[in-house]
Amino acid sequence: MSLAEPVAAPSGAALSPAASGHLDVMARRERRFAAALLAPAFIALGATTTFPLLYLIWTSTFRMDLAMPFMDGFVGIENYRQLFADPRFWQSLSVSMIYTVTTVIAQVILGLALALLVMNMKRGQGLFRFIAILPVVLSPAVVGMVWRSFMLTPEFGVIDYLSISAGLGSQNWLGDPFMALVSVIVIHTWQWTPFAFMVLLASLASLPDDIYEAAKIDRAGPWQRFWRITLPLLRPAIVMVVIMRTMVALTAFAAIFTVTGGGPGTATEILNLYAYRKSFTELSIGYGSALAVALLVVTILISAVLFLIRRAK
Amino acid sequence: MKTKHLRAIGLLIVTGIFILAWVFPIFWSVLNSLKNEQDVLAYPPKLFFEPTLAAYRSVLFGPQSILPNLWSSFVISAGTTILTMAIAIPAAYALARLRVPGSRWAGFYVLATQMLPPVGIIIPYFLILRNIGWMDTYQGIILIYLSFSLPFAIWLMVSYFEDIPFEMEEAAAVDGASRLTTLRRIILPQVQGGIAVTIVFVFLNAWNEFLFAVVLSGNTVRPVTIAMFNFVSVEQTLWTQLAAVSVIAMLPVVILGILAQKHIVKGLTVGAVKGGGRR
Amino acid sequence: MTGPGKVRFEDVVKMHGNFAALKGVEFEIEPGEFFALLGPSGSGKSTTLRILAGLDMPTRGRVILDDQDVTAQDARERDVAMVFQSYALYPHMTVAQNIAFPLEMEKKSKAEIEPLVREAARKVRIDHLLDRRPGQLSGGQQQRCALARAIVRRAKLFLLDEPLSNLDAKLRLETRAELKRLQRDLGVTAVYVTHDQEEAMTLADRMAVFMEGEIQQIGRPADVFARPNSIDVAGFIGSPPMNLLPGRIEGGQVVVAGKPLSTAPAGLASRDVIVGVRPGAVQVNGTGRAATVEFVENLGDTAILDLKLDGAPIRARISDGRPFADGDQVAITVAPQDVHLFDAETRRRIEA
Repeated sequence: MSLAEPVAAPSGAALSPAASGHLDVMARRERRFAAALLAPAFIALGATTTFPLLYLIWTSTFRMDLAMPFMDGFVGIENYRQLFADPRFWQSLSVSMIYTVTTVIAQVILGLALALLVMNMKRGQGLFRFIAILPVVLSPAVVGMVWRSFMLTPEFGVIDYLSISAGLGSQNWLGDPFMALVSVIVIHTWQWTPFAFMVLLASLASLPDDIYEAAKIDRAGPWQRFWRITLPLLRPAIVMVVIMRTMVALTAFAAIFTVTGGGPGTATEILNLYAYRKSFTELSIGYGSALAVALLVVTILISAVLFLIRRAK
Repeated sequence: MKTKHLRAIGLLIVTGIFILAWVFPIFWSVLNSLKNEQDVLAYPPKLFFEPTLAAYRSVLFGPQSILPNLWSSFVISAGTTILTMAIAIPAAYALARLRVPGSRWAGFYVLATQMLPPVGIIIPYFLILRNIGWMDTYQGIILIYLSFSLPFAIWLMVSYFEDIPFEMEEAAAVDGASRLTTLRRIILPQVQGGIAVTIVFVFLNAWNEFLFAVVLSGNTVRPVTIAMFNFVSVEQTLWTQLAAVSVIAMLPVVILGILAQKHIVKGLTVGAVKGGGRR
Repeated sequence: MTGPGKVRFEDVVKMHGNFAALKGVEFEIEPGEFFALLGPSGSGKSTTLRILAGLDMPTRGRVILDDQDVTAQDARERDVAMVFQSYALYPHMTVAQNIAFPLEMEKKSKAEIEPLVREAARKVRIDHLLDRRPGQLSGGQQQRCALARAIVRRAKLFLLDEPLSNLDAKLRLETRAELKRLQRDLGVTAVYVTHDQEEAMTLADRMAVFMEGEIQQIGRPADVFARPNSIDVAGFIGSPPMNLLPGRIEGGQVVVAGKPLSTAPAGLASRDVIVGVRPGAVQVNGTGRAATVEFVENLGDTAILDLKLDGAPIRARISDGRPFADGDQVAITVAPQDVHLFDAETRRRIEA
């Protein structure tokens, strides 16, 4: 098919050299145009994602302490060996899992309940859609700041006021390890449930009415209609929400950083935050890199599992 | 009949609680930003008070003015948006339209880059920028913002380009228009709406970014999300000013969000349809 | 006009992977001719048009336009105009801007463009809509706008890809007549793709009938109708389609279902044939072979009788269906000159 083919090819061949030459020229022109359009994007993506990734893996094989530069040097897989023996790593991993699983489940259940509720409303849908936008467009850092200051501050925040009014007394919401974890989970759920709500509502709205009418004629009750029709039809949307929210929850940063900074102690330190603190607070860049690589591996493993679930059926 | 009434009331209460739960934190920040120092500290918290703009005056024109920080946020967001769009539009067109071997892999690559945890990008980037002296510079922070804005913008634009029928380009070709003319005169005008939506989301994401900003910011580059910490210190928290700064930081994104209201689901889920995730 | 617009396809093959969309298509179109490419969907007629336009490249073969080999040129280099099935109007431009676009691409000045746009619009009677956008036009008006955009440049070739298929039935009839008049006035070579035989019959000077990537027959519509050269063409052209009955030539007679139907042309040896009779050529009267009326389809001005002729189904088109009822016994005859004979094996026409 190339132009280098001798011109005197047998004329009975499936492709005459002349015609295949045209196709070739066209294809090459098309390729060159595409390459010109794609090049800037690929250079930029390579420079800002792929290159840093390779560099990250490289630095994770070094001891690199900005506080003690004289100790720096190649250590091979030492950082990873250290990581497996590091209780703080395992703790941050489990905090990550708790944080991710609880927030994602809460978002999906609340979002779905709300979507079903709003779907049946004759008036006020617009108000809900409007309000749902507010949390998701806000910066998680600002959301964290608002919650931390105006909602949770002891003897000042509204939540604490409600707690006192309810006779539960003032609580140190962010000072107690358990309460702090609950708080950051609630804040994340507060901000992102509207996302699940909006996506599931859109998906619900796209379901045809006539299948519900058919189900009614088939004498399915409301409960059966939900389990046998709505839920299976929403499955792709739900799985999509779960995948997207899981990825975000695993790399959540701003809200936790603003609200607790990972504390008290390491009570709310998810793996992402641990990698950050190790690198930029404790200045152990090498070990921090290894933690970041571990986070990437965890992310890939979890998304692989989720994609398999999505494929299944 | 009675149970129906009860159900309607129950529904009203449930929806009311949800609306309150979502609106209240934002509403409360706005209220606090309009209080004076006494009202904000009042116990029990005050719903009714004499509103004042003192806090806004203080954070905008006081000694700790956040105007430079607003400017900083704007420069970062606008710079990221312009650069992103300039790169993403041609790439998205090529991915959506040109029949070239390997374009599926190219698309997959763009999606895969979104899997990288941001902390894994910022660690090496911090080292590189420190070496070339780009810490606390706009070029440094805008460059790294491309890592999340580009894949997002490319995929969103691909979905808009794919909406245009192939015959448009063929008609233009028959009419004698070159490839570039076709792109400029026929295709781009038809995705204007999509470009506007993409710009809104890219700007919004850049405005809200925090992790990269925490690491890379300094005295020159200091966006609002970082500057709000000025009002919180161990000794004292400037409650009204903090509320005012929060409200100011929320304002642009809320406006943008409302503008893009109809497209927000598409903007939030883009890429996922093709089988990937967005951070 | 920039040239006479003579077209020649030489052994054009188009492969999509292993699938042959076109298997060696050859034809010639004379300048000023209205040439139709007729065939069912997937027969290769649209592919042929796209190759002629330069939107697709042939895998093999040559396309000659006015004695010049244009196979390697793409659409923007060839001097062709095209009306797309979907019209492909540029939605962000007004009607005037749409029509002006091909002229702008020729780098004509504003002063030259304006009157040409006005004239093209006037020819298709949309000169009062020049400031509208395509979205504000009805289907028929959009179609005219697409026509105007195609005729404004006076290209060598005027290509139409099922241009009427998106119009409703009444408008289609009107536009059909107008299209023919327009093409005559312009004197331009037109190539017209359609799956609707009626359009091809009424519009075309000549037509090519496509089946499965090959041209079955080329000729004037009336000739193709009168003398289809294969069973497939015979079955495709005409509505309702030609009756095709298995039969035999025996002893100077055409025998269908065991009994003679009519006399056979002289000099034909005995063999198995497919007998074709157009429904309109089946005469229902008192004499001839007995048949049973299965069903009467009344179409208003005519009627179709679904008959059974000794077990073989056969249709007759008659002017008035009222005298007949389901189950009636009738007698039918077919004049010898109305009998088409096809070889059962080669599927080709048997010439007398």
